[in-house]
Amino acid sequence: MSGLAASERSVRPSSGLSRFAAMFGKELLELVRSLKLIWVPIVFIALGIMQPVTSYYMPVILEKAGNLPDGSVIEIPLPTGAQVMAETLAQFGSLGALVIVLVFMGTVSSERNSGAVSMILVKPVSPASYLVSKWGAMLLLSSLSLLAGYGAAWYYTGFLIEAVAFKAVLSSFLLYELWLLVLLTLTLLLSTALRSAAGAAFAALGAGAVLSLLSNLFPKYAGWLPGALPGFARQAVMGSLEWSSRFGACLVATVMLLAALVLLANILLRRAAAID
Amino acid sequence: MNMAEELGQLKELLPIIAPIMVLQLILMVIALVLCIKSSQTRGPKWVWILVIIFANLIGPIAFMVFGRRNE
Amino acid sequence: MRPLLEVEGLVKSFGTTKAVKGLDFTVMEGRCAALLGPNGAGKTTTIRMLTGLLKATKGTVRINGCSGSSHRDMRELLGYVPQSPSFYGWMTGKEYVAYAGKLCGLTARQADIRASELLSRVGLEEAGKRRIQGYSGGMKQRLGLAQSLVHQPKLLVMDEPVSALDPIGRREVLELLQELKSETTVLFSTHVLHDAEELCDDIIIMASGQIALQGSLQEVRNNNRLPVISIRLEEGEASREWALTLKRDAESFAQKTVERENESTAAALPHMTSSHLPLQRMPLLRHVREVEVEGYLVRLIVDDIAEARRSLLEELLRENVGVSKLEVGFSSLEDLFMKVVSG
Repeated sequence: MSGLAASERSVRPSSGLSRFAAMFGKELLELVRSLKLIWVPIVFIALGIMQPVTSYYMPVILEKAGNLPDGSVIEIPLPTGAQVMAETLAQFGSLGALVIVLVFMGTVSSERNSGAVSMILVKPVSPASYLVSKWGAMLLLSSLSLLAGYGAAWYYTGFLIEAVAFKAVLSSFLLYELWLLVLLTLTLLLSTALRSAAGAAFAALGAGAVLSLLSNLFPKYAGWLPGALPGFARQAVMGSLEWSSRFGACLVATVMLLAALVLLANILLRRAAAID
Repeated sequence: MNMAEELGQLKELLPIIAPIMVLQLILMVIALVLCIKSSQTRGPKWVWILVIIFANLIGPIAFMVFGRRNE
Repeated sequence: MRPLLEVEGLVKSFGTTKAVKGLDFTVMEGRCAALLGPNGAGKTTTIRMLTGLLKATKGTVRINGCSGSSHRDMRELLGYVPQSPSFYGWMTGKEYVAYAGKLCGLTARQADIRASELLSRVGLEEAGKRRIQGYSGGMKQRLGLAQSLVHQPKLLVMDEPVSALDPIGRREVLELLQELKSETTVLFSTHVLHDAEELCDDIIIMASGQIALQGSLQEVRNNNRLPVISIRLEEGEASREWALTLKRDAESFAQKTVERENESTAAALPHMTSSHLPLQRMPLLRHVREVEVEGYLVRLIVDDIAEARRSLLEELLRENVGVSKLEVGFSSLEDLFMKVVSG
């Protein structure tokens, strides 16, 4: 019986993994075709360069621009390299995070609204691999952009101010990338749950703000929330990060949150692939 | 402060500022090309072109995030 | 011939409203079936449930014996084209079909070869190199067809394949379907009877979430063919008056017949037949099932054409009604469709 059935159908020797690879390939191609793979890293590089440059030239700029009485002496101590890098991270946390969330705000909802998703999900693929392929694209673009921007900041800081230890930079990069992933995975879930892309971006940024506010206001009770990640990244680059149970709990909580968000998105997508 | 001194400072500044300007230029060109090529933009195209050219950094980003109607 | 698609007790409720109220039907392998019904009859909801995109509230769908629990297997056998297929505009047509192939498990090379084949099949070999965002509606529909066939599905399901297209696009897609239906089993929904008649072997007529009528096209046509006499009256107040009284009398006669049947054996009392119906009209009314009046055009659906015609002519003479045209024929599927759908 089974032999008959197999010969009746055309031979199909591939696994779920190769189907996932096809979906991820599609996401990659979209990043390339839409030029996102170029312009988003450029934005991050520009942000990364600006911080050390403005820190370095701040005294000069103030002197030129300010209507200070003759003879007044400006004494602004040059910040340390680590401080500049930490300020750069803050830049990535505001404008950088905004840009990257906005780039992905419609990642599921636009395809769902147009009906493109239903064309894909009637194929023998799982909704989970569809979502994970999107998540992979988020991981790729955000890490590449952060790497480029933070790397540029590191180079400029070393050139203009002082060198910062590679290890400190690398660990802060990883922690900050994890924070961006939290924001992006929130975006993925909300883009699946909501019809409006702008709504998803707004809600994701809002949720991110709440997370970091909670962990900053109540470090004792909420210090383990993923919202503490930017703080840990800052400590890492300043060289003051030490292994603590709170840091460990934060890492575990973050990984669990990411998994939960993707799972929830999967449940939502399974329930109704298309909306109209 | 005299002219020569300022010129000297500018010379010193240029290699540091230049990469930022180049990056902004690349962003502007990408955004302009996408804007001119796209069949439909959200809002009038000429306004977007002005925004891209005159609002440094923010203009091109705003166009690429909000200005395109992707089909 | 064996059943390919079996649907049993399919129900879908959205909140308290029931969009689909229990469907049972079967599509045999190799047949082309149309799910016919007016807008809002629940066709799209049904199709969505068949494709697995929407979970049924109750009931089962089996394709080739595979049921919903082995959902994955079912989708391997199914090709689906939604009402207005939506693609990724930044891809080329060929890229999209190849992508669909890879999602169905073909290797990159197989998918590429298959994409070229299918695109030339649907007449898009040139356009396949261009981005989809520039395609017309008809081209998108044909591309949708190509991508749905990439894994050689046993069942092709389409939702309103031609209703959104201009006449040229319609023609193109209908001709393609005409070819395709000899190769695979096809089920499509439509609200246009003519499209169903042109393509299908079987029709399933849906109205407000239920199946109103189903069977092979031939069967349905034969079983529901009724003799019709249509007459065009000369214009004037008298003609109009006559047509309307005839319609009214036919209705009350039909009602009386129903009442009599309900009262079963106790019927046939003399006072029931007399009532207010004009006695001379009785021979005609006995053979008329229904009267439709449209301006000066009167259609009488009758049971015995010879008897009805004779008594109608007598009636026209007696009442002195001017007639400019009289035609005897049979009711079309269109009449049946309209009746089923509105009643």
